[in-house]
Amino acid sequence: MSQRTERRGIHVDQSDLLCKKGCGYYGNAAWQGLCSKCWREEYQRVRQKQIQDDWALAEKLQREEEEAYASSHSVRDPQSAAGHAALAPFSKFEEKKTNEKTRKVTTVKKFFSPSSRTSSKKESPEGKTPSPSISRHASFDTDQVSKDFVEFLKNLHKPGREIHKQCRAFLMNMSSKKDLGADELSECVQDFYQSLADRLTGHFKGSSESVEQVMDQVEKYIMTRLYKSVFCPETTDDEKKDLAIQHRIRALHWVTIQMLCVSMDEEIPEVSENVLKAITDVIEMDSKRVPRDKLACITRCSKHIFSAIRITKNEPASADDFLPALIYIVLKANPPRLQSNIQYITRFCNPSRLMTGEDGYYFTNLCCAVAFIEKLDAQSLNLSPEEFERYMSGQASPRFSSSDGDWPDGAQGVGVAVTNPALAQLNHNLELLSGLCSRQEAVMEAAQSLQADLLSWSESVQREVRDILEKYPLEIKSSKVSAIDTNNVDNENLPSPIKPQVFAG
Amino acid sequence: MSAMRVDAKVVMLGKESVGKTSLVERYVHHRFLVGPYQNTIGAAFVAKPIQVGDKVITLGIWDTAGSERYEAMSRIYYRGARAAVVCYGKSTLGKYNKNTIKSKRCYRQVKCKSESIGAQYFETSSKTGKNVGKFYWQLVVSAVPSEAFVSLEETGVDLDQKKDSYFYTCCHNN
Repeated sequence: MSQRTERRGIHVDQSDLLCKKGCGYYGNAAWQGLCSKCWREEYQRVRQKQIQDDWALAEKLQREEEEAYASSHSVRDPQSAAGHAALAPFSKFEEKKTNEKTRKVTTVKKFFSPSSRTSSKKESPEGKTPSPSISRHASFDTDQVSKDFVEFLKNLHKPGREIHKQCRAFLMNMSSKKDLGADELSECVQDFYQSLADRLTGHFKGSSESVEQVMDQVEKYIMTRLYKSVFCPETTDDEKKDLAIQHRIRALHWVTIQMLCVSMDEEIPEVSENVLKAITDVIEMDSKRVPRDKLACITRCSKHIFSAIRITKNEPASADDFLPALIYIVLKANPPRLQSNIQYITRFCNPSRLMTGEDGYYFTNLCCAVAFIEKLDAQSLNLSPEEFERYMSGQASPRFSSSDGDWPDGAQGVGVAVTNPALAQLNHNLELLSGLCSRQEAVMEAAQSLQADLLSWSESVQREVRDILEKYPLEIKSSKVSAIDTNNVDNENLPSPIKPQVFAG
Repeated sequence: MSAMRVDAKVVMLGKESVGKTSLVERYVHHRFLVGPYQNTIGAAFVAKPIQVGDKVITLGIWDTAGSERYEAMSRIYYRGARAAVVCYGKSTLGKYNKNTIKSKRCYRQVKCKSESIGAQYFETSSKTGKNVGKFYWQLVVSAVPSEAFVSLEETGVDLDQKKDSYFYTCCHNN
């Protein structure tokens, strides 16, 4: 083996291939030059150390953050205890991630540098850095919200300070309750809203408008801070439900606008524009943190649906039109983390808004739409159970198999065109193209006949000329050829022709 | 945003094209729109402020989809409602009861039923506006009990003290 490598001009010593631990087995570059057995031992050791290092680093970061938090807010102790408890699962996850990273780095790097062990160690703190920076970035938003909140409260003077104090106390209280279930957390938040609203009503002497204003700000501040820990918490099966509904909507991709009896005509550009906006809005909901902002997304989405229906029907829409349209939009949008968002809003939104107002109405409709999608069966789409099964299993698609004739309404041709605007556009373009094609053929035909005409015309001209020539043959009088002036009568009167003169050289 | 504040939630129930929206439309906008298909009138959610004594109470009127396929979901709409209005059309009943005697019996049945569940029965016409104002006023009085007029302003809608009122209304659009 060594001979062969020497022939190639790369010198590899036999000893280099052996395990670096000197156990006599061959080592492997992927295992930092160790044999499999030694590598496992070594890896375990490094891993242990890594865990310890990470733990220490995480603790240090946590301390730093707490100090920063304490110095900026002049509150400190109760958080630290809860903070450590909350940190444990996080740092464990982090440690797993860094280990994966270092291993990858070593395997690749080993091929190029012999001293990868040290480099891998250097790598680990680097691999660590992104996480604090991310959390810092996230907390930037939170800080902004806190700043706005403080600004807002400044205008309220003394009660503002009181509200701030209560909110902070509540947040601290919440951070110690992180192990509670989602329902208990929800109850805590709702109780807080209720008691604060009661107090504010007492303070503002029944001016509900000011109370609402303050409550909105309080909700924004509190929920931005709590969002991470209470949105889709591990204690619930929200995530499972999210995935379930996502799969369900995906499986229902074949549902058409006609099956739902939606009165929206997407052929009309304004309508399809509104439909797109509605889809965007309902998807955007997931990106908001405050329940009220999420609700606002749903409301915007609903308003666009109403516009779409109004444009289509030329009349304002009623609930009978709206709900099917919303179901259609949800099916088309497949909004991310739909169940989590609904649960989050239900649990943590200020109830007076959720229950009765306009936002509440649209939110309730969204819940209905989701419930409908979950329970949807053949009957709810006016299909036979067999058809429904075929569509669900993907054996048939209503868009292509509509010619089977099982379609509930007669106008399938139109239905297919309306079903998919892209398809309709495609058909339209194809029609245009075929029209162009036939026109081109017509032009070609005309050109060819013109060519034939031209040819026959020139032939006919030639023939005519020939005919005329035959009819009136050209008579050439030979005498005229000898001299042009032979028959010139006044010959004598002309001067004698000029004679050429020759000059001597 | 605060304009959206609602004191009492009222849900409109009833089959499609029975005239739920017409009833709301007549009450809120004092009009009756004639179209080929009557169920497309008005918006789905209406906030209607009403002067009650020296206070202004805002009714949030929720329209619901009447189609049978959404029947299973209607429960979701009731939550937190102060009153429910069950609408049926005389014309829809008439479909099954061609002669007046049966129609009268049917009317009695509905009246009986409404009494048995403690509901109030109103016969209204969205077209002429007959009884609509009276009906809604009764709705406000029942949905917002007088002793609650004071406390409502302070606490908002308290779900524990829920006192549901049912209304049967009968709409004839002709």
